[in-house]
Amino acid sequence: MKNRTVLPNIYLIVILCLFYLPIILVILYSFNVSRISSVWEGFTLDWYRELLRDRSMFEALRNSLILAALSSAAAGVVGTLGATGMARRRMRGGKAMEYLSTLPIMIPEIILGLVLLVFFSALGLPFGMVTLVIAHTIFCIPYVYLMVKARLAGLDKSYVEAARDLGASEMRAFYDITLPLTAPAIVSGVLLSFAMSFDDVIISVFVTGANTNTLPIKIYSQLKTGVTPKTNALCAVIFLVTVFLGGLSAWIARPRKKDINI
Amino acid sequence: MDSPPEEKGYKHITIIWEVNMKKTGSVLLTALLLTVFLAGCGGEQDASGSDRQEGGTGTTASGQLNLFTWEGMFPQELLDGFEEETGYRINYVNFDYDETMLAKLEASKGGDYDLVIADDYIIETVIAEELAQALDTSRIENYGNIDAVYQGQFYDPDDQYTVPFGAGVQTIVYDPAQVDITINGYADLWDESLADSIGIIANYRVIDGLALKVLGESYNTEDLDKIKEAGDLLKDLAPNIRLIKDDNLQDDLISGEVSAAVMYTSQVTTAKLANPDLEIVYPSEGIGFGIMAGFIPSDAPNADAAYAFLDYLLDAENAAAYFEYLGYYSTNVAANDYLSDDMKDLLTIPEGYATDMEMIQNIGSEAEQLHSTEWVEFKTAAGQ
Repeated sequence: MKNRTVLPNIYLIVILCLFYLPIILVILYSFNVSRISSVWEGFTLDWYRELLRDRSMFEALRNSLILAALSSAAAGVVGTLGATGMARRRMRGGKAMEYLSTLPIMIPEIILGLVLLVFFSALGLPFGMVTLVIAHTIFCIPYVYLMVKARLAGLDKSYVEAARDLGASEMRAFYDITLPLTAPAIVSGVLLSFAMSFDDVIISVFVTGANTNTLPIKIYSQLKTGVTPKTNALCAVIFLVTVFLGGLSAWIARPRKKDINI
Repeated sequence: MDSPPEEKGYKHITIIWEVNMKKTGSVLLTALLLTVFLAGCGGEQDASGSDRQEGGTGTTASGQLNLFTWEGMFPQELLDGFEEETGYRINYVNFDYDETMLAKLEASKGGDYDLVIADDYIIETVIAEELAQALDTSRIENYGNIDAVYQGQFYDPDDQYTVPFGAGVQTIVYDPAQVDITINGYADLWDESLADSIGIIANYRVIDGLALKVLGESYNTEDLDKIKEAGDLLKDLAPNIRLIKDDNLQDDLISGEVSAAVMYTSQVTTAKLANPDLEIVYPSEGIGFGIMAGFIPSDAPNADAAYAFLDYLLDAENAAAYFEYLGYYSTNVAANDYLSDDMKDLLTIPEGYATDMEMIQNIGSEAEQLHSTEWVEFKTAAGQ
């Protein structure tokens, strides 16, 4: 009887440690005097000061946030429309279409990046935020598409049919029935896309321009000179902001008495 | 009769919608707010940046320098100093590998970027593809500060296109407290007492080359038999190898995970600064080296800014600050006087060694292929 509670608890602790121990270490070493991550030499806030002085780091962060917001929003719209459209009609070659549209997450990133580089330069499109957003939207769409499609598959068609039966136009039925019911899937797809776009480096490095450095590129290109605790400090800040925002949205969306009654 | 149920059902769904929207909407709203907020911050920064330009000297210098190189190359003071001194605004953008830089330059046909700092071998290709412009050295006042040892190399034999900004020099580093023998050259790495205690970087031209050096060959030999022989010799080294990795190898030397290492120059500098007891050996077989150099792309939008930066970075004091921060060997003679005493030993090659130096160059594809095959076999033998 006892084993039943002890074993799951140990399992839980081990998994949680695997998740959070590396993050805690990263944050801890952002306060390290030494440049080297294997030696602890004392507490300092210097790396945070240095981070604040690094204008290019903040520009890269801003670019990354704008890029992730735009491309996940675009993917949200295209992916949702695609999934609802495909679910409604049985058209010839529908399966092939579906396979084609989820292909971007199956193609190795390095190939997609190179192909896009060649494609954009053949088009004569200047490299920058526009090419970045297009590229990121391409690989974000499948995430939204697959999420929404799964949600739609689990929905009873009779809701929409009933609405149509009662005289709602197709648009009306979409806005009042399909959209609200698939909203959780859309949001999780968009959030996933946001995360995917925010940390992409391989595709970004190919399609970025001279004025749009992104944060992952910046961090990744420290290969040559070595990662300093300044990067740890940045990771710590991003982690805390993420936790804060997560907490904030949970607090805003916390169940209220009125909601529970429904 | 018809309307009430319709209204009821409709209302029910509207309520679900509202509940869903309350949750999901709040998440989206916070994300949106954050983006707008940060975009706002950035925007202000941008605005103040351009204000300063307009309000600044405004006589000669205006606009932006698109500086394209790895992240973490310059101390922040150096970049700030350049902006204050000249009025140009630095746009510091990065690439991960040399090959990516080449792909970007090819895509933009030598445009978009004003100044690129990259490794020697890729610059040879850049110049061959006519993506770099010939330098007007009369526009670089401090051009004379360059160390002649690092000029006229294979990638730019007539020094038409490039300015060297740091050299990587192949050394052996070891911890005398953990190693019983005195290491003088590469051959000593084969010593049995070093079993399972050497760390090396994963650069096969450097490591295969080390075996070539032991055989008395050139790093750049294209004699396939010699490369094969070196590969076989290298397999005997496998039992002594503990780690093969590129990043943060210095940490393993400092922590004692490995007691001797062949690694990148910046790693050697970091390790020595962390543990002054470490010995740095200039191998008796000869020294291999590589150069990082700056060049102006053929169609650079703001070549004036690039010239200003080249001149700024070649200034003796600025160069000293740059090399001390970067931890690569100084390629600037004038800067050597400004290096602090303890850094000077690390960033300059002692007299008498500089004669026996050889660059690691691009070689024919057959030889390159064999190097790569030998390397994979060696890695397998070393259990990596």
